[in-house]
Amino acid sequence: MATTTATITLSSIDIADNPINISNTATLHTAGTDTGLTETTGLARVKTNSGSNTILLDFGLTSGVAADMTADKSAKVYIKNVNDRGDGTKYVTILLTDKEIGRLYGGDWMFIPYSGGSGEDIEFTASDTTETTLEYALFYQ
Amino acid sequence: MATTTATITLSSADLLSDNLSLSATTTLYKDGTTATGLEQVNYHRAIVPTGTNFDLIPESDALKDNSNYVYIINKNTDVTNYVVISINNKVMGRLYAGDWAFFPWSCDLSAAANDSTVELQAYVANATVEYALFHVGETLATAADS
Repeated sequence: MATTTATITLSSIDIADNPINISNTATLHTAGTDTGLTETTGLARVKTNSGSNTILLDFGLTSGVAADMTADKSAKVYIKNVNDRGDGTKYVTILLTDKEIGRLYGGDWMFIPYSGGSGEDIEFTASDTTETTLEYALFYQ
Repeated sequence: MATTTATITLSSADLLSDNLSLSATTTLYKDGTTATGLEQVNYHRAIVPTGTNFDLIPESDALKDNSNYVYIINKNTDVTNYVVISINNKVMGRLYAGDWAFFPWSCDLSAAANDSTVELQAYVANATVEYALFHVGETLATAADS
């Protein structure tokens, strides 16, 4: 087994009267065990000039990067929009198939659990057709 | 405005043949701005009983600016306990004991009611979760006796 940790720190000194400092570390285990996840796509980078809906992680696609992932287990996905923020109007919409999760503006990242399943892909749509670059990684069993 | 940062560090010495060490930091800004930070936050701790899928973060007209960020952690310690996070009827995934998630959230009022509500269901045992919403605004209810 492997030991992979994901640490988040949320910090603000002025969003409230007292500082907010939230910090937690998760060790990425297989479902219902304390055995570490052993499979990953590694960190990948994709560029697009399309403003159309595009599949980032195609669940079950033969020979796809997520082909061996088992549905409804303990997978985690990291995605970052590595573009500059620019004027703050350009973003990438991240979707669970046809369901919008949210918008990653330039520099934003997200880390979510992913159940997968037939037809349950992770997709994205850039807000315009200028070049957009995403980095992503899937940790799975 | 306020300045709130979110940092992730992913690391492993033995998942790959070389060390994995990844870190990213973002500042939580309002939609359509270059450097105007989100000014409002809700931070909760709740014990969620099993057997029911609950609205954790409901849609609200004041949230529809589409620059909101959600943090959720499952504080249980039994490794078999998990919660399922969904965006309305679309399952995102499972947070096992100690797992956390952080993601942007679009409050979409243009579709069906509650179509973008963040939902959570506990499995195996009641789940203690902490969650935060960094957001653009919220609708406060007018007091009944106002």
